[in-house]
Amino acid sequence: MAKFVLVGLSHRTAEVEVRERVAFQATRVPDMLRQLAALPAIRESMIISTCNRVELISYAENVQEAIDSLESFLSESSQIARQELRQKLYHHSGEQVVRHLFRVASSLDSMILGEPQILGQVKSFYNLAVDAQSVGSYLNSLLQAAFRAAKRVRSETGIGEYSVSVSSAAVELARKILGDLRNKRILIVGAGKMGEVAVRHLSASGATTIRVTNRSFEAAQELASKFRGTAVPFEELTQAIMRSDIVITSTGSKEVLVNRAMAHSIMSGRKNAPIIFIDISVPRNVDPGVAGIDNVFCYDIDDLGAVVEANLQERHREAALAEKIVEQEVDSFCARVKSLDIGPVISQLQGRIEEICRLELDRYVRRVGPLDPRGARELESMVSRIAGKIAHPLVTQLRSVNQDPVHHEAYLSVIKRIFKLHKETEEKENEA
Amino acid sequence: MSWILYITAGLYALGLLHSLFGFYQKRQVFVRVALGMVASGFLVHTWFLLMLGLQRRHIPITNLSESLCFFAWCITLTFLVASLRYRISALGAFVLPLVSLLTIISQLMWDENHAIPPLLKSKWLYLHTSVAFLAYASFFLTCLSGIFYLIQERELKTKHFRFLYFRLPSLQVCDELLRRSLFVGFVAMSITIVTGAFWAQQAWGRFWSWDPKETASLITWAIYLLLVNYRLSSSWRGRRAAYISIIGFASTLFTFGVNWGLHTYL
Repeated sequence: MAKFVLVGLSHRTAEVEVRERVAFQATRVPDMLRQLAALPAIRESMIISTCNRVELISYAENVQEAIDSLESFLSESSQIARQELRQKLYHHSGEQVVRHLFRVASSLDSMILGEPQILGQVKSFYNLAVDAQSVGSYLNSLLQAAFRAAKRVRSETGIGEYSVSVSSAAVELARKILGDLRNKRILIVGAGKMGEVAVRHLSASGATTIRVTNRSFEAAQELASKFRGTAVPFEELTQAIMRSDIVITSTGSKEVLVNRAMAHSIMSGRKNAPIIFIDISVPRNVDPGVAGIDNVFCYDIDDLGAVVEANLQERHREAALAEKIVEQEVDSFCARVKSLDIGPVISQLQGRIEEICRLELDRYVRRVGPLDPRGARELESMVSRIAGKIAHPLVTQLRSVNQDPVHHEAYLSVIKRIFKLHKETEEKENEA
Repeated sequence: MSWILYITAGLYALGLLHSLFGFYQKRQVFVRVALGMVASGFLVHTWFLLMLGLQRRHIPITNLSESLCFFAWCITLTFLVASLRYRISALGAFVLPLVSLLTIISQLMWDENHAIPPLLKSKWLYLHTSVAFLAYASFFLTCLSGIFYLIQERELKTKHFRFLYFRLPSLQVCDELLRRSLFVGFVAMSITIVTGAFWAQQAWGRFWSWDPKETASLITWAIYLLLVNYRLSSSWRGRRAAYISIIGFASTLFTFGVNWGLHTYL
C-alpha cells in the first residue's frame, strides 16, 4: 500500500557543517524535483531546505524502496558518502510523516521554539513543488492540512508571543513598566554596537525622541544621525538622563557613570516619573543599587537573559498545548486519508456481490433439492464468475478514479452508498 | 421577581469562569467573551433594578439585600467602563468573584415584603446613597490596581519573571487606572458627604453630629484627600500611592460596615 515517506536531517541530528553541504539552494530546487520525480519508487515529492533542516517528503508505493532511493539521492546531491550521511538522517513513514510535518510547520521542531519564519519557508518550498508539478493529490492535501494545523497553533496558543532575543527582551521590560512606548524618550550612553541594536528595537516600537551621548562627541553625532536623533555633550549626562525615560548604557568605561546619589537627584528632578536603565556594558556603568529607589528600574545584561529564559519557558508551556492541537489535526487528517483508501472498499464490494449471488444459489438449492456433485460444482463456479464480472468494471473504475483528486471522494461515497458499505466499514472500525 | 437575580448571577459567574480561564491561559478571546457575558448580565441587572424601583416606588438601596444588589451593580459598572478603556485581562478574574458573590448573597437574603424605613423616605436618598456606592465601587478598583501595581513592581524589581509578571498589566496601566478611579471615587465621596450633611440638617436638625458613620467617612475622605493631593503634585506615584490606596479601601470597608448610631436602619 502506498504511503508518505520522509527522509531528512535537522539541527537535532546534524551539525551545521553537514547541513550546509546537504542544503539545496532555492534556484536548484526545481531541477532537483524533476530528478526526484524520475525515480521509479517515488510517486509525488517535495523538498524543504532551510538553514536548520533539509527534508525530502514523498508519496510512494513501497516504503523501504523509497527510503533507499531518497537516501542515495541526498548522498549524491551532497557528495557525502551514504554510510556517513546515514548517521545524520532520520526517516519517517505513514502517520509519522504527517505528525513530523505538522510539527515542523507549527514551529514545534524549530531551533528557537515558536519562531515564525518556518511556516512561510515551508509554503514557498511547497509552491516550488507545485510549479514543478512534482506534487499530486496526496502531498497537496497533506500540505494543506499542515498549513491548517500551523494556523491553528498560531491563533490558539501563545507560542510566538514572547520575545526571545536580548534586545527585544529590553523592549518587553520597558513596555511592562512604561506601557505604550510611543513618545517615550531614549538616551544612549556610549556609541557601542549593542546599544545600537537595542535602540533599533525600541524605535521600531514607537519611541520617538532619541538622544546620544558619548565621550567622543563625533561618535555620538554619527550614531545619532542613524536614528535621526540628537547628540548631547557628555558633560550634560545628568541633565540628559533627567529628560529621558529609557537609558541604555553601553560604554567601555571601567567606572560607574550613574550612582545612587546621582539617581536620587535625578528622580527628584523628574518628579518621580519612572525611569529604566538598561545597562549592557561590562563592567557595568550603572550602580545596581539604584534599583532600590522608587520608580527606578535597572537591568543588566544578565537580567535581560533571565527575561529571555522566562519567555522561553512560557513558550515551552504553550508548546504543550500546541502538541495537543497537532495531535488532533493528525488524527483528523489520517482519518480522512483512511476514508479515501480504496483497498478495503474494493474487498468489501467484491464480498458484497459474492454474498448476494451465494444467497440466491442457496435458495435455488433449497427449492430444487440436492444436486449431483458435478452440477453443483458447475453452478457454483458460474455464480462466482457472475459475481466477478459484475464487480470487475466497478473495481477498474475505482482504481482509475483513484488518481483523480477531484472526483475520487465523490465516486467512493457513491459506491459505498449503493452497496451499503458504510455500515460495514464503521462496524469493522468499532470492532477494531 | 428576585429570580431574575439568578440570571444575573449566572451570567456573571459564566463571565468569571471565562475570565479565570483567559487569565490563566492568557487567552484574550476568553476575556472578550467574558466581557460580553458580564455586559449582558449587567443589562439584566439594570432592568431588574429599574423594575424593582418602579414596583417599590423608591430607589432600591434601603435594606441590606437591596444595597448589596446595588453595590454589585456599581462595581460591574466601573468594571465595564475600565475594561472598555484598558485591556486588562486580569481585572475580570479579580473583580467578578466579588460581583458574583454579592449578587448571590443579595438574592439569598431577599425580602419580598420589604417596607422602606420611614427615616429613608427622602429625596436625598437618591443622590446621597447611590453616589456613596459609586464611591465605594471606584475605591475598590483603586485598591485593586494598587495591588496589581505592587505585585508587578515586585516582579520587576526582584527580577523574578514568574506567573503574574506575564499576566498582570504594565505598571503604567496600573498607575493610570489607580489615578482615574481615585479621582472618580474622590469626587463621588465628596458629594456623598456634602449631600449627607444637607440631609442630616433636614432629618436631625444638624449638619454634622459626629455619628460613627459620619466620622468614619470623614476619615476615609481625608485619606483619599491626602492621596489625591500627593498624586496631583506627582511626587507620590507608584508604590506609595498603591499602599495608600489599600489603606484607603480598608477604611472604606469600615465606613461601609459602620451602621449604628444615627445610621441604624439595616
